[in-house]
Amino acid sequence: MTPTALKQKPNTFCASLSADKLTLKHGKVSIIDQLDVTLPEGQVTAIVGPNGCGKSTLLNGLSRVHTPSSGVVLLDGKDIHSLPSKEVARRLALLPQDTLAPDGITIEELIRFGRHPHQSLLKQWAMDDQEAIKYALHAADLEGLKDRLLDTLSGGQRQRAWIAMSIAQETPLLLLDEPTSALDLGHQIEVFELIRNLSRQGKTLAMVVHDLPSACRYSDHIIAMKEGKILTQGSPKDIMTKELVRELYGVDCDLMPDPMTGSPILINIRRLRS
Amino acid sequence: MINHSLSMPDTPLDASTPDGYRLISIGQYAHILIEKQAIIRNTWLLILLFCASVITLGSGTMAISPKEVVAVLFGQGNTMSQFIVQDIRFPRLMAAIYTGAAFSLAGCLMQTMARNRLATPGIIGIDNAAMAFAVSSVVGMGISLAPSFMALAGAATATALAFGLAGGSGTRGYRFIVAGIGIGAIAGSVTQLLLSQVSIDVANSAYPWTVGSLSARDPFMVNVLGIGIAICVIGCLLFSTQFALLPFSDQVITGLGANIKHIRIIALILCITLTGLAVAVAGPVGLVALVGPEIARVLSRYRGIPLISSALTGALVMMLSDLFGRTVLSPIELPVGIVTAVVGGPYLIWILVRRSSRSSL
Repeated sequence: MTPTALKQKPNTFCASLSADKLTLKHGKVSIIDQLDVTLPEGQVTAIVGPNGCGKSTLLNGLSRVHTPSSGVVLLDGKDIHSLPSKEVARRLALLPQDTLAPDGITIEELIRFGRHPHQSLLKQWAMDDQEAIKYALHAADLEGLKDRLLDTLSGGQRQRAWIAMSIAQETPLLLLDEPTSALDLGHQIEVFELIRNLSRQGKTLAMVVHDLPSACRYSDHIIAMKEGKILTQGSPKDIMTKELVRELYGVDCDLMPDPMTGSPILINIRRLRS
Repeated sequence: MINHSLSMPDTPLDASTPDGYRLISIGQYAHILIEKQAIIRNTWLLILLFCASVITLGSGTMAISPKEVVAVLFGQGNTMSQFIVQDIRFPRLMAAIYTGAAFSLAGCLMQTMARNRLATPGIIGIDNAAMAFAVSSVVGMGISLAPSFMALAGAATATALAFGLAGGSGTRGYRFIVAGIGIGAIAGSVTQLLLSQVSIDVANSAYPWTVGSLSARDPFMVNVLGIGIAICVIGCLLFSTQFALLPFSDQVITGLGANIKHIRIIALILCITLTGLAVAVAGPVGLVALVGPEIARVLSRYRGIPLISSALTGALVMMLSDLFGRTVLSPIELPVGIVTAVVGGPYLIWILVRRSSRSSL
């Protein structure tokens, strides 16, 4: 086989994900109320907002983990809960925050689980599977580590392995819940750059991010949430203002464009004085 | 660092199967992956099981040499050995193998499902509830059902209660375990209460149900258990790729397109069937469910979920415990439940004390 075979197969379906009047509740408490949202295709969307604003709940709702109380999540125009779960998993991958893994699993074995939606009881292995795994190892730059045990890796490598698992899933959509929150600066950059590369490959990505400067730098579209509602959304350059930062986090700051990239950076961040 | 260009590597791509696996293809219709290590491991365990069986069949008041035992197994040997091996010791050996395998397989499944190594049917009260139901039937609480089937009903009731009270298995299974321990305690005290209210003869006839013994087995139930195990093992093999997802978090499992509720229900049904039938044969010998899977896990170097290996190690542990109980204080016989408790108790303390990084406790 020629090396060019490593190129990821073009996704044969479009990948639109949107929510229509979505209401999500934890018990009786409404976390997200009547929310409309559409993820721009082929872009990186960052969902930002203060703790408890419903970012993760929204992501869980979009990925069908959290069943809506009312409203629908539409995957390519169809109610996500009406589609067979396996079919959804071939179009949409999810990387949750709580990444419990089996004991003694190696990187390659973990990535292999990403092929689950493409396999069945009797078809446990196909040519595609090995290609997809090779591609995922390559894309996440884990080729040299494929036989290492997951729990012997650094935080950044481990997170890349999980992302590689969702790459192997070969979905046009990938949702990530705080992919970098437990990582140091260097490892954060590793993961963010991987995410950006995936978007250049044509994937539609959405991630919950705590760090506003990183969200500005590594996303094309920002959804700013507060108390279960979307305050504003758009490209970082367009929507990022002092007022928004104050509204979201209750802090004062100044904004200036990054001299290298032009994306807004936050400077002189201080507590709001009343 | 991250490969920005995502340029193609120079090494040619081969679409081989993953390292350590063998692909079994049946035309275009089936491609099944089998771990080579598992085949080797289970073959060794089977050989070990056979050797231990020969020793067990030869041990007792009248010792028979291994050579003679093998001869009998192949339809030869003298009449006396034939009678002892085939009619006396063999049914008991099969009961030990079946119950050990059933308890251990159920234990491995439930530990995996609850993501906690303490969550075995014995700990979460299934054994005790099965016992309480069976004893209530024996001491004649106006229920005229066969105790064996009452045991099965007890197992199902306990699991349903534990699961209902815990509201599903939760992330780490703690709620499930705590609810189960409570149910087990109640079932245990109900058994004691029942036994204290009846005459000594009736209490004596119910006694084997309370300690776990292979001497009072019901031959019909042994056969039912044998069939039950065969079905459950096939079930485990069919759903092995689904069960392999169970150690992941619910979100990951859903994200991969599997139905977590279905997988849990299937695993629970297998657990209840195996435990209920095994208790119906041997009474509560639940510690096998703790020890068997643990040995299997060490043997498999913690890779994957060693369901079949657990069944085999469980059978081995049960057989050897019964052999020990039968011979060590001969002619007095120790019930197998007591032997496994003596072995399993310290073992339980050991896994609690050992703070291994692999431990999920």
